[in-house]
Amino acid sequence: MIKLLQNKKSQIKLSTMITLLIAVLFLITMPRINKDYKMLCLNLTLIYALCALSISIMLGMGGQMTFSAVAMMGVGGYFAANLCSGRLGFSLPTFPVLLLAPIFSAAVALIFGLILLRLRGTYFTFSTIGLVQVAWSFYSMYKPLFGGYDGISGVPKLSIFGYTPSNYNEWFYVLAAFLVIVALLVERIRKTKLGRSLAAIRDNEVAAKTLGINVYITKVIAFTIAGSICGLAGALYAMHTRYISADMFTFKVGVQYIIMAMLGGVNNTIGCIVGAILVGMLPEWLRIAEGYVNLLYGVGIILLMVFMPMGLSGVVTSIIKSLKKRHKKEVTAIVKKAEGSEV
Amino acid sequence: MVNTLVGLTVNGLAMGVIYALIAMGLVLLVRAVGIMNFAQGDLLMLGAYISCALIVDLKLPFWAFVPVALISFAIVGIIFMATTYWPLRNASYPQAVIIATMGAGYALKELVQMAWGSIPRTMLPLVIDPKTGSAAILRFFGVNLQWQFVLIIGVCAMLILMVFILFEKLYAGRMMQAAAQDKYAAELLGIPTVLTIAVTYILVNIVVSIGGYMVAPIYFASTTLANLQLRAFAGVVLGGFGNLKGAVYGSLIIGLVESYSTLKWSSYKDAVVFIVLILVLIVRPQGIFREKIADKA
Repeated sequence: MIKLLQNKKSQIKLSTMITLLIAVLFLITMPRINKDYKMLCLNLTLIYALCALSISIMLGMGGQMTFSAVAMMGVGGYFAANLCSGRLGFSLPTFPVLLLAPIFSAAVALIFGLILLRLRGTYFTFSTIGLVQVAWSFYSMYKPLFGGYDGISGVPKLSIFGYTPSNYNEWFYVLAAFLVIVALLVERIRKTKLGRSLAAIRDNEVAAKTLGINVYITKVIAFTIAGSICGLAGALYAMHTRYISADMFTFKVGVQYIIMAMLGGVNNTIGCIVGAILVGMLPEWLRIAEGYVNLLYGVGIILLMVFMPMGLSGVVTSIIKSLKKRHKKEVTAIVKKAEGSEV
Repeated sequence: MVNTLVGLTVNGLAMGVIYALIAMGLVLLVRAVGIMNFAQGDLLMLGAYISCALIVDLKLPFWAFVPVALISFAIVGIIFMATTYWPLRNASYPQAVIIATMGAGYALKELVQMAWGSIPRTMLPLVIDPKTGSAAILRFFGVNLQWQFVLIIGVCAMLILMVFILFEKLYAGRMMQAAAQDKYAAELLGIPTVLTIAVTYILVNIVVSIGGYMVAPIYFASTTLANLQLRAFAGVVLGGFGNLKGAVYGSLIIGLVESYSTLKWSSYKDAVVFIVLILVLIVRPQGIFREKIADKA
């Protein structure tokens, strides 16, 4: 009994078990509770969660504030919409395009990353604002590639080896599967050399340099990975809504992704997903306070930053920490008692 | 040709000085408390709405409008500081303050819509043609200019000059700079940093709100006014961070580039502005003018 209490590994497993349990419960119950329109919102939220995860890589791991997620999402989205809808004179099957979209947007992100990441800190942040604005004006104006204000409609249904998700509930599981894959990937990156290098850069760039980390290349790689995740999100969005337009890729939406990531805890994978779901579903859950949603939202963000700057996950970890402390005390008390009785 | 060119230059300069007002506020806040204010445009919008309410709804005469407006702008500045800066001043996570200002932006937009509705409000220009009752036009060497644009340039240039003298030349401004550069040392010297920060917030809001008051007749008082801040950001970065002079020049350049780009690519005006910004950043990452205080935010 005492050994079991002292075994640290079993505790870690317990926490992952609990998260898994909650996730499975969420996956089973949500499609049953929510109906058509709400389900659509929930599906979109899962797509936003992908973008929030990409911000978690850049801002949470690397400490680089970036707004570029929307622009990169647009790259993936328009790539998929152009290739699949047949407006260029040919249309490719959807699933290969869905897999190609992250690769394409990774290439685009690599080019922009190489250019923009020569800038440091706030300058980089502002250049990404510039990127978002430039991308948005091209998305909304340039007809041949992006369809102008009308956007691109008629994107075919996604078909994965003959399986086509036909309603929102089926889409929910497809999107959730992609989200889980990306979340595992992000969680894996956190534990690799790349993730640790990024953390070092975040905490102290000069120190990271002295440790032999190539700061520039590391940031570019992170930016590329983040871009490819956003590209996947964009392609999924295009195929889910079967329509894409520039409204989805404004600066305002970009701010929302950052808030999603910050709400849940920017350096926490599950936190980001929870944050995305909260921000995305808030207008639906607060239907009663329709006119006040944005006000509540704004005030809520300020209060959140005041009371829990590390987001919800920060609160959870601090609670767990204090619980562990108490637990440890109890364990040592038990051990002492046991030792005392043995003697 | 000359006619349009002069017209575009005046328009560009007018928008440039408005961006400069926003940009100066941004720089002052970065220097004083080290944060980027993402609600700066929303403060401008609030200023426009407050002036609109005072003039259109309460029908205040000009001599009464000025003090009432200034006092209310100052109060808004204090409230803004009390909500987004004061509780967060010891936050362990520097991005928290920035996110809080974004939240304040959302809240301000919604508050304004709740108070005055979502329809853009019109405000008469300051100089009105007595015959037609619409905006007066200034004929200048055969070129037609709108009086409002000329007035914007004049008033904002005065404001910019005043802020510049206050912060760069006067003792009070030096005190604020000292407090911005090293808060701890400034406190040891007996500079009341709380006061200097509060004064900075008040000044920033007054300057930005006057900008809102000036543009409201052209763009209407609406929530889209908040979008002006993006170009002011571009101006700040173009001029070099933490540099008042640079921010002003950068904003003027942005205003002119935006105005001239309407000649050829009117629908890509935003893209042109930000491509210029990115190009300048790549060639000269520190901005056109060197920054005075190292990157803090």
